[in-house]
Parts: sequence; C-alpha cells; structure tokens
Amino acid sequence: MRTIIFSTAIRLLTPVFLLFSVYILFRGHNHPGGGFIGGLIGSIAFVFHVLAHGANATARVFFSLTLYHYPRQAGHSRTRYFMQIMNANLRGRRKGYKENRWNYIFVRVRPVYIIAFGLLLAVTSGTIGLLAGQPYMAAFWMDVHLPVLGSLGTPLLFDAGVYLLVLGMVLKMIFTMSKE
Amino acid sequence: MLSESLILATATDQPRMNPSLLLLLPLLLPLYGAVFCLLFWQRVRAQVFIAATAQLGWFVSAGLLLYEVSQTGFLTTQIGRWPAPFGITLVADLFSALILASASIVGIAVFLFSLQGLDSMRKKYGYFPLLLFLQLGVSGVCLTGDIFNLYVWFEVLLICCFALLALGGTRAQLEGTLKYVTINFFASGILLTGVGVVYSLYGSLNMAELAQVVRQPDHPNLPLLTLCSVFFLTGFGIKSAIFPLFFWLPASYHTPPIAISAFIAGLISKIGIYSLIRLFTLIFIPDAAFMQPLLLVLSALTMVIGVIGAAAQKDFRKILSFHIISQIGYMLMGLAIFTPLALAGSIYFIIHNILVKTNLFLVSGVVAQQHHTFSLKKLGGLYLKQPFLALLFFLSALALAGIPPLSGFWGKFMLAMGGFEAGNYGIVAVSLCVSLVTLFSMTKIWNEVFWKAKPPKSSKPAVAKAVSIRHPMLLYAPLVLLLVFILLISLYAQPVIALAQRAANQLLYTNSYIEAVLKK
Repeated sequence: MRTIIFSTAIRLLTPVFLLFSVYILFRGHNHPGGGFIGGLIGSIAFVFHVLAHGANATARVFFSLTLYHYPRQAGHSRTRYFMQIMNANLRGRRKGYKENRWNYIFVRVRPVYIIAFGLLLAVTSGTIGLLAGQPYMAAFWMDVHLPVLGSLGTPLLFDAGVYLLVLGMVLKMIFTMSKE
Repeated sequence: MLSESLILATATDQPRMNPSLLLLLPLLLPLYGAVFCLLFWQRVRAQVFIAATAQLGWFVSAGLLLYEVSQTGFLTTQIGRWPAPFGITLVADLFSALILASASIVGIAVFLFSLQGLDSMRKKYGYFPLLLFLQLGVSGVCLTGDIFNLYVWFEVLLICCFALLALGGTRAQLEGTLKYVTINFFASGILLTGVGVVYSLYGSLNMAELAQVVRQPDHPNLPLLTLCSVFFLTGFGIKSAIFPLFFWLPASYHTPPIAISAFIAGLISKIGIYSLIRLFTLIFIPDAAFMQPLLLVLSALTMVIGVIGAAAQKDFRKILSFHIISQIGYMLMGLAIFTPLALAGSIYFIIHNILVKTNLFLVSGVVAQQHHTFSLKKLGGLYLKQPFLALLFFLSALALAGIPPLSGFWGKFMLAMGGFEAGNYGIVAVSLCVSLVTLFSMTKIWNEVFWKAKPPKSSKPAVAKAVSIRHPMLLYAPLVLLLVFILLISLYAQPVIALAQRAANQLLYTNSYIEAVLKK
C-alpha cells in the first residue's frame, strides 16, 4: 500500500479525521456520538498512516517527541540561542558548530500510557462527584455553552477518557499486528 | 496517588461515613491501582509499591464496609444520581460485604506470595494490573444491584482471568486457557440471553424491582419465571463448575503458576456461587415442585463427582482443583435446602473455602518452589525437611476436610443441621460421606508429599520452573496470614456464624432489600 497517492492523501486526511473525531466527541452528550465512536474515528487516521508508512514511522511521527538542546556558549546572545533552539526543534534545522554539541531528550508515548491516562481521566471524572459529597459520577456542568461543541462538564471528561482509552486500544492492536 | 489519598482522608475524617463513598472505595481502589500500574508499565518495583497500596486499601475498605453494613444493615448508592429502577444501583448487604472481606484477605495473601513466587517476566508483562482489574471485577459482582451490570462485571472478571491464565504463554497454559475461554464464553452467552429474556418478560433489570415484580401474584408472565431461572442456573452453573458442566475447571486451573491459579481457584468459582445464591434468593425463589429437587440433585452429584475425581488424581494441584468442585456442591446444598440455617451454612462455607482453598494452593506452590514438581510420586519427605510447612498444610487440610474445631466443621455442621431440620436426610448423608472421602484425599497428599521417604531422583525434567528466590522465608508470610484468619474463623466461630445467620436472614426476607434500594 505504499503508493505516493495514498500516502499524500493520508497526509491531507489525517487532520480531517482527528478534527471530526473531536467534534463527534463533543457533540456526544445530546446527539449521536461520544467518546467511543470518536476514539474509533480518531484512530482511523493512525490506522491509515500505519498502512501507508509502517508502524515504526507512525510511532516516530505521532507518538514520540525529540527535544534538542545544547548548552549556551559564552559569546552567544540569549536571543540567538533561543532562535537556534527554536529552529532545531520546530524546523529540524540544526547547525552544529561541533559535531556532538546537540543533546536531545526523547519522549515516547506508548499506547498503554494512552490507555492508562484515558482510564484515569474517566475514573477521576466520576470521583469529582464523590468528593463533592454526591453519589459517584454525579454530573456537574459549567454555565458555558460553546457554539458548535455544546456544554462543558464532568460527563465530557468521562467521554474524553473513553476516547483516549479506545484510541490507545486500537493503536496497541495495530502496532502489535503490524509487527507480525 | 493523590486522588487515592484524598479519598482515604475524607473517609477517615468524617464521623459518619458517606454510604456512596464506602460502596465505591472497594471498586475505586483496585481500579486506581491498576491504572497507575499501567502508567508504570514494565517498571516492576513501582508496580509492586502501587499494588501493595491498593491491596491494603482494598482490605481496609472492605473491612470498613463490613463494619458499616453490620451496624446499619444495607448501604445503597445510585450512580450518577439517577433514582433506583432507572439508574445503576450499588448495594451492599452482609452477604456481599462478607464475601468481599474474605476476597480482600485472599488478595493480600496472593499478592504477598507473588512477590517471591512469580517469575519476573510475568510481573513485567502486566501481572499486577491484571490482578487488580480482576479484584475490581470481584468487587463489582459483589456490590452491583442490577442484573445487567452483574453480567458486565462478570465479563470484566472473566476477561482478566483469561489474560492471567494465558500470561506467560507456555504450551500447557494456552491449552488450559482455550478450554476455559470457550466454555465461559458459551456461559456468558446463555447469561446474556437470560438477562434479555428477563427484561422482556418483567420490564426491569434492577434486582430490587425485579424482586418486587415477581412477588405480584397476578403478573401475567409469572409462570415463565422458572424458564428464566434455568438460563441463570446454566450460565452461573458453568462459571462455578456445577455438576454436568464442571469439566473445564480441572482442565485449566492447574496450568498457570500458583500466584495466578491460587487467586482464581480460591475465589472465582465462589463468585459464581455468590451470584447464584443472590439471584435465587432474591428473584427466582426455588419452588418445591421443580427447582428445589433439581438443585438438591445437582449439589449431591457435584459433591460426589468432584471428590471421586480427586481420589483418582496423582497431581497436587489437580487434586485440589477437583476438590473445588466437590465443595461447590456444599455451597449449592445450602441454597437447595433453602432454610435460614442452611443458607447461613452456605455463606460460612463460602468464606471458609475461599481462605482454605487459597492456602492449600499456596502450600502446593511453596512445595513446588523447592522441589520443582507437583507430582505426588516424585515428592516426599517434606515432613522431615520442612516441619513448619507440614504443619501449615496439616491444619489447612483438616479445615478443608471438616475436622472439629476447624472451620470446615462449622460450615458442614450448619449445613447438616439445616438439612435435618428440613427433612432432607439423603443430601445430609451424601455430604457426610463426601466429607469422609475428602479426608481420604487430604490424607493421600499428606502421605505422599510429607510422610513417605523422598523417592530417588528420576532423569525426567522438572515440570515447574524454578524461580530464583531472594527471601525464602517471605514465601511463608501469606500462608501464615491465611492460617491466622482460618484459625480465627474456626476458634472464634460464633461472631462469624452470627454474621452469616444475619446475612441469611437478610437474603430470605427480601422486603428490607427492596425497601433499601427503592426507598419506599
């Protein structure tokens, strides 16, 4: 499936899938939608990316973060140092004066962390009601009403947790299956 | 960890504890523990710390729940503030609190055993989160007040069992797990069908409301109640290994390492019996024409077949697995006789069996740690080498067989008394004979493993893999802990029996349950 048409199309479609999945997540309280289906739609983007580029590429592009830094030299101004760090991290352009000057921090988001964080969010959204002296999962809504998305409240937190949980589950399955 | 400590702080500060908090703690603590274990994936030390906290919390919260329920009778909460027949109800009575408390004791013991007795690969690949999720499922089954949620919690529990049984992926384990998964999915299908049928006939899933509906004498669908109950009898019958459908249990329970099989064997089939007793006292009251004789026959056959199967085995763990089946028969016997005394006997017997069976499995684990086999033929001479271990086994085995004054005796005594009072002499005779054969099996293990001289080493490779143990004495800690609790409920049986009798009365006089849930 590694054709140029497919991979280009996926590049354009990925943000669309993700945006739409978040929209589905937000409207889920009073309309069809919600965390589960939102998570599934969101994971489509990554499934296609895995099909087009392979699991390792997906993990590298979306689920890892490399932060470059180097100690500031004595003669360099603060602004210049800042610009160089910005260049290195945002545009990937690293001008090295010496070869081994750039250090990096590598952060990797495993699917299991997404699952755990989703569960944590969902469980804690219910605990808020408990801490307020109400039954577990008693709903609290804010008075804000957003134009497209709807209201904000603890059930939305629960749905967001489910969204992350489903997303993490699908990713875990896709990554494991594409290895075999 | 922050939210956990917050919850605990509020729990101890308030003079009168919030019932919803008390009911939620046994669910939330294992769940938070599992989530944090997942966040520390593959970091065993952190997971051990988190799991220890969660286990202790689970134990304390179950104890608090038991205390509060013994004071007030019932605790209920409505999840999300939706009132009772529509929302999800959590309810605790004495029966569920007692089972939960004994489950949490076993949880601590198995956790302690796993620290030394489980290989590091299994710990690294998710033993602790799976164990905690399993405990979450156990809490859920015990506390739910809704028939569909009962099914869902059972699924939570079973999926964790599947994963735990297969964890490590050796050939024997996968074979055992496959049998377990196949038959249990079948049982879940039957259960779900039953839930659907009940909903279509009586229009509710809330157990309290169902109990109210089936007690209306003029309900048009009332003659079909027995039909519904057969779905649940079959479904939970498979899950708790009652007579015709027990064969999966001895085929799968002996395959995983002891730290896994002790918890599953000690607890999970009893959770099936718990659900059966809960449903058949609350909703499907056994009628004297059909259901009660059926239950009596099933319980007698379960006892007999289990104990005969055990007598034929030559493997430590397989003998114990077959004995699970025979003791499930005793628990069913109380339900079949259906008097307060017999039900109290069943409840006491479940508590006793959870503790004793786990302890015996752990003893077999300690033996296998040192001799790398479970086969009775190859073992021997342990009485000379480890007299303390022999003592631990001796007391637990006598408790299992029901020698006075140990705990099995009190359970069987109450069951036999209940049987005599109700005039079911046949089942009492069967149970007493089975008890004798149980003693024979335990004597067989004692003779072969502890008493006879150690046979010369054969060239065959060891079955059980050796795990490097840093502190061998720590292996004994869970055994001693469980034995202390066994002796506690044997020698100070009166308070436990009184609690069991109150629990049985709560089960039989359902009006208070219905009132507590529906607040009428």
